Amino acid sequence: MTGPALAGLRVLELADESAEYCGRLLAGLGADVVKVESSSGAASRSFGPFVEDIPDPSRSLSFWADNLGKRSVVLDEPDGETLQMLSRSADVLLHTMPASEAVAKNLDFASLSALNPRLIVCAVTPFGQNGPWAEYEADDLVLMALGGSMAACGYRPGPDLIYDTPPLASMGDQAYRTASTYAAIGILAALWARDSEDSGVSSGGGQLIDVSAHECSASMTEWHLLSYLCSGDVYRRAPHPSLTANDGRRVAALVPDFLGSHVFENLLAMLERNDVAGPLTDPQFKDPGYRAANYSELWQALKRLAALHDGEGLYRQGQSAGLPWGVIRSPDEVVADPHLAARGHFVEIEHPELEMTVTYPGAPFVARSSPWVAGPRPPLLGEHTEVVLADWGVPNAESADGGGIAAAANGGSAAAGNREDEADDEEARK
Amino acid sequence: MALRGLRILDFTRLGFGAQATLICGCLGAEVIRVESTIRPDPIRVMPPFLPDPGERSTGFGSATLADTSGAKTANRGAVFYKYNTGGKKSITIDASKPKGLALLKQLVAVSDVVTESFAAGTLNRWGLSYDEMRKHRHDVIYVSMCGFGHDGPDSSHVTMGPTAQALTGLTFLVGMPGRSPAGWTFSYLDHVGGYLGAVAILTGLIHRSKTGQGQHLDVSQLEPATALSGAILLDALVNNRPARRDGFPTGNRRDHPASAPGGAYRTAPDPGDSALSGSDRWIVISCRTELHWQSLKKVIGSPAWADETRFATVADRSANADALDALLEEWTLRHERYEAMNVLQAARVPAGVVQDAADRLERDPQLAARGHFTMLGNPDVEPLPLEGVPFRMSRTPPDTGGAIHRGPPLLGQDTDKALSDLLGLDPDELRVLHDERVLA
Repeated sequence: MTGPALAGLRVLELADESAEYCGRLLAGLGADVVKVESSSGAASRSFGPFVEDIPDPSRSLSFWADNLGKRSVVLDEPDGETLQMLSRSADVLLHTMPASEAVAKNLDFASLSALNPRLIVCAVTPFGQNGPWAEYEADDLVLMALGGSMAACGYRPGPDLIYDTPPLASMGDQAYRTASTYAAIGILAALWARDSEDSGVSSGGGQLIDVSAHECSASMTEWHLLSYLCSGDVYRRAPHPSLTANDGRRVAALVPDFLGSHVFENLLAMLERNDVAGPLTDPQFKDPGYRAANYSELWQALKRLAALHDGEGLYRQGQSAGLPWGVIRSPDEVVADPHLAARGHFVEIEHPELEMTVTYPGAPFVARSSPWVAGPRPPLLGEHTEVVLADWGVPNAESADGGGIAAAANGGSAAAGNREDEADDEEARK
Repeated sequence: MALRGLRILDFTRLGFGAQATLICGCLGAEVIRVESTIRPDPIRVMPPFLPDPGERSTGFGSATLADTSGAKTANRGAVFYKYNTGGKKSITIDASKPKGLALLKQLVAVSDVVTESFAAGTLNRWGLSYDEMRKHRHDVIYVSMCGFGHDGPDSSHVTMGPTAQALTGLTFLVGMPGRSPAGWTFSYLDHVGGYLGAVAILTGLIHRSKTGQGQHLDVSQLEPATALSGAILLDALVNNRPARRDGFPTGNRRDHPASAPGGAYRTAPDPGDSALSGSDRWIVISCRTELHWQSLKKVIGSPAWADETRFATVADRSANADALDALLEEWTLRHERYEAMNVLQAARVPAGVVQDAADRLERDPQLAARGHFTMLGNPDVEPLPLEGVPFRMSRTPPDTGGAIHRGPPLLGQDTDKALSDLLGLDPDELRVLHDERVLA
């Protein structure tokens, strides 16, 4: 039996740009992710770049990147009764409000849990729900600084060992993406704990997942903390060595000697095939200590090799010797990769209003029995307001006399009924 | 704990795969690492080595075989301790021996999930293909985590983090205009790939609970990365504006949304700094809104230059960013970095110290207050501040030491107990298997 893993799951997203990628991951896994926006639209709709550089809430590529596959609902009173009704019908509520704002809007976990005890609430904030920095402000750049990856990235210092360039943060909002991915993991784990008979945590209840983006960033610098604990020295940033191929492209050229003696043997054979081994054929180089002491000879041979190949070719030369080499590509150059194409990774999504077909990254892993849901294109602002309110058991405010509270009161019973239907469906599946 | 009662038979090595099972262990799953004393996980014997109490080891530097062969045991390679929290257990079994393979099949039968990060085809050669596993556990969830995945023309290619980062555009995204990429100096994609490995494990579990069926989930180190360039990729494809162009990437400057001033600014040294370390102290400031800018101006004493028309709007400030940054740095250079951060944050200006590893351990009050680090050791190693999953759950709290609240395992620490508990082997049977070097 196949079908998206989260088919039928309802996710209410009240998230800004720091956690929209989480909603996107859940949508890709098959959840019905409903993004609640004000009538002026999510902030990310105002971020460039825009299609053909024409600023418009439906043309923001920042919005497109992280809102594929969601539905959009506009609620002019996003803290009002309709939102409470949607919360009653939801499985997951993903938000990015500071703790104080959530309380002020009755969207704190205690209030939401009273409405819907099965609701899983995931709060993604810069620093988490408590602690001395809890109310501090941060964007991706600040998080990259505090988390530690920035201190570890950048160019070499000058000959006097003084850095004349700053530490560098990666572009692409990596701290937001790390926090979003951890949020998705927490949500999936909470769903498992809530729904699975196997979980050993039988209760059927929701819970609060408290994601601190700062902590997420702080835990992703590989060996740096342990290296410091061992040596008392902090890492001083410097780029990994790379080779320049004859077309000017650079290739990350790792020689992971520590994996065993076969690494050098394979490398040497490849250099000999290319007639550039030079002094490395000296048997002394078989000794790892000698090799380490004469590393510049090895590097010279690699430079001779690089001069013979273009970037993609040099990458494949290294790989032919079992070396973990990779040509440094820009993000858009990745789309042409034949391996990813054969795995069907990139997907074409229709944008009918713009008469465009746009290439997006597809599934982050291959799961044939629970396939990734690639689209549809990111929602237009408020595109699904009516249909979602109907689907999720809330009458359309416009069709209900008086709207507002009256609509919400009707919605309450409808939502409860819907929940029971779902429970029956769940039984039927078992 | 959310994943209590689940068992993962874990063949992952190094960082990428181990990150995935670390997460599951911290969430309560029982993770049983299957290891080998003959070919130990390289991460166990990679420098730096954890020192004896009171001693210091040498820094990471460039790991060579000469260094690794200097490892006294397989239990003091420090990076192992980054990736193997979550209460992982360690058993050693020689899969090349028929009795070893038979034991592995029996372990598959009692496991919910099997994870591995070998080259594609390795488990098949052992005689432990997915089809074979299904004979012993019909609904087994098999999560493979090899660099290029298990199919496709380049599936024999090998990766480490920096390889995958180069190939997927991430290395490219770290750099200043007019210079070659600086890239990531650590294996960011070991982490991200591992996170998606954890998502794959959980996806497999949820699918099984709905359908009763297992599956093979094929995680590579490439596909988790392609969405990480976000709008940069779409801008190139939709607007025909290749990312490889003059002035891009933009270092620490950000245009979407515009942040100005925005970037890293040098500060005064910390008290007690050497000349060298004192010259490399930085703070990030990022003003995206008018309110941020007005607040910043007040904090720095409302200098006359800040009211010049060339800095009036965020667009003006972006256009004159070099001049603005130089003027702002005159202020930051007069202040220690944490003091500057706190005074800016008190005025609600987004600002943060560029923290290194020592700072996170010793200076960061937020990580301390949140209980980010957990002191865990094992019989060979004094307790260390280690990390698990960086989020909290109110009803099923994660634990960096896993369900058994224990530090990373010694090589083979759990062999006898796990085989006795799970397969009912008695002491005599275990002794024979040890004598025959099956449990090696």
